[in-house]
Amino acid sequence: MRIAANPLFVLLVIVPTVLAILYYGLFASDVYVSQSQFVVRSPDKPSTTGLGVLLKSVGFSSSGDEIFVAQKFVQSRDALKALNEGNYIRQTYTSPSISVFDRFNALGFGNTFEDLYNYFRKRVGVEHDTTSAITTLSVRAYTAQDAQKINRRLLEMSEALVNRLNNRGQADLLGNAQREANDAEAAARSASRALGAFRQRSGIVDPERQASVQLQLVSKLQDELIGARLQLQQLESIAPENPQIPQLRTRIAGLTRSIDLEGSRVAGGQGSLSAAAVQYQRLSLDREYADKRLTAALAALQQARNDSRQQQAYVERIVEPNLPDEAEEPRRWRGILSVVILGLVAYGIMSMLLAGVREHRD
Amino acid sequence: MTPADPVPAPQPTSLARSWAIQRRVIWALVLREIPSRYGRHNIGFLWLFVEPMIFTLAVTALWTATRSVHGSSLPIVAFAITGYSSVLLWRNMPNRAIGALAPNLSLFYHRNVRPIDIYLSRLLLEAAGATTSFVFLVVFFCSIGWLEPPEYILQIVFGWIMLACFGFDLSAFFGALSERFELVAKLLQPTAYILCPLSGAAFLVDALPTEGQKYVLLLPKVLGVEYIREEFFGSQIVAHYDMGYMALCNLALTLLGLAEVAKTSREVIPE
Repeated sequence: MRIAANPLFVLLVIVPTVLAILYYGLFASDVYVSQSQFVVRSPDKPSTTGLGVLLKSVGFSSSGDEIFVAQKFVQSRDALKALNEGNYIRQTYTSPSISVFDRFNALGFGNTFEDLYNYFRKRVGVEHDTTSAITTLSVRAYTAQDAQKINRRLLEMSEALVNRLNNRGQADLLGNAQREANDAEAAARSASRALGAFRQRSGIVDPERQASVQLQLVSKLQDELIGARLQLQQLESIAPENPQIPQLRTRIAGLTRSIDLEGSRVAGGQGSLSAAAVQYQRLSLDREYADKRLTAALAALQQARNDSRQQQAYVERIVEPNLPDEAEEPRRWRGILSVVILGLVAYGIMSMLLAGVREHRD
Repeated sequence: MTPADPVPAPQPTSLARSWAIQRRVIWALVLREIPSRYGRHNIGFLWLFVEPMIFTLAVTALWTATRSVHGSSLPIVAFAITGYSSVLLWRNMPNRAIGALAPNLSLFYHRNVRPIDIYLSRLLLEAAGATTSFVFLVVFFCSIGWLEPPEYILQIVFGWIMLACFGFDLSAFFGALSERFELVAKLLQPTAYILCPLSGAAFLVDALPTEGQKYVLLLPKVLGVEYIREEFFGSQIVAHYDMGYMALCNLALTLLGLAEVAKTSREVIPE
């Protein structure tokens, strides 16, 4: 009876406890929690530092970006919009079997998508454990089937999202490499066509090689010329009347003419090899460069193809969404107990504060 | 108190009346505390918030100068102000509360001056000083453009009140405890120094290793600072806080503190 006489105790402890017992005992609807666990994996990017090599094990590692992508997506409006196809989410959470306290939009106002989003976000939990890289997705609903269904759908959508990002990245990578290879191929083709046209036009295959052949010819002719001159000198000094002398003279004149002719073909003059060599060098350099570029581009394309086959981030499910056969929440006893304890604490504080105030008297 | 009623009135005073008396007592104690603490010469009671302001400014200047040490793109001014103002808020309060009763023992001859009033007046003064300095600095740095004006004032107000509550409870608890156990007063200083680097003033929880975060977040002080910081930095940082947990800590501490003050106030003997 002393307790009843203390209005503070009634207000702060008895009333909340009774309310809590009423709520947890009668009203609170069973909440089924469906959990799933997954990791988002992507191939190891080669790390440059020695320490990084030491720390990272070979092969796969959990990817930084993709995991957050999946995590953020699960709690996004887009995910809810996709889930809410045909008003599924709205109907699930406004079902009359759910108690008024837990239902979405129980009082009839606040039926906007934003309200639904705020309501729904509290029922989807994403927890990422950085040490194990495992993400736990838990969905709370008022029937076990709904919880499992929503969880599964969310998981599927995250997978689709990660795949979409992958495909996009791959398409970018491959597209760029392919484009570069095509460009390089066209350049190589036009360079070699230009070189061919030059050969046809000038009738020269390779000025340098031809020039060396030509120079050999000239030096041979010069050898002969020197030989013929020596012979002429000998004959003139020994036997000036020798009939071979005019013959030799004709030969020398012919050799001299030939040397001039062949020499001018190598250097000097319009159609000479040295004049053609300038143009030829440029064209052949062009072709060489284009060839090298093509080789590199093709190698890059091949690499990109290989990478795209390997470098796929993907969602790997560790634990499939479960179908809970018992309502995990609300934890009724725990709820009531915490209300009682909190009430007692509040009562203690208030009664001491008031006692402190009451110490002041007229 | 009034000489109009010489006979001790046996009828109980109403709660509202008691509250009015207590308010008057606390206000009188605050007014008494200001000159006794800061004196009347030079700027007098302005020291109340100039003192913490100088401290915060000095730390801000130091950190701005050695910004390379921290090596982050975060606005150092906001970091220092949020960090150090809150440190002041909760570090000076226990210092003021410890040994608060001894110089005021003679006051207890007045029936209506209770130890809780002494604590409340001193701590209110301390909180007012820290708050004024914080507000002044924020407004000042906002007006010269070194600080982005926070978007939701209410979040800052709430976080600040939570921090102040924490400081209050802690101070009342240790202050009252130190009256009965002298050792507490001696141990508080080293404890405060150890906790200072852990108070969240000089680091962001997000920058810590995940394993460490768990333990750091057990300290209610850190939660309050993080909560305030979120507002100043917006999306530049990921704030970690759980105000429910902090409220629980505050509640528990309030209970302990009040119990301790009540116990001490029964034992205190006027000189």
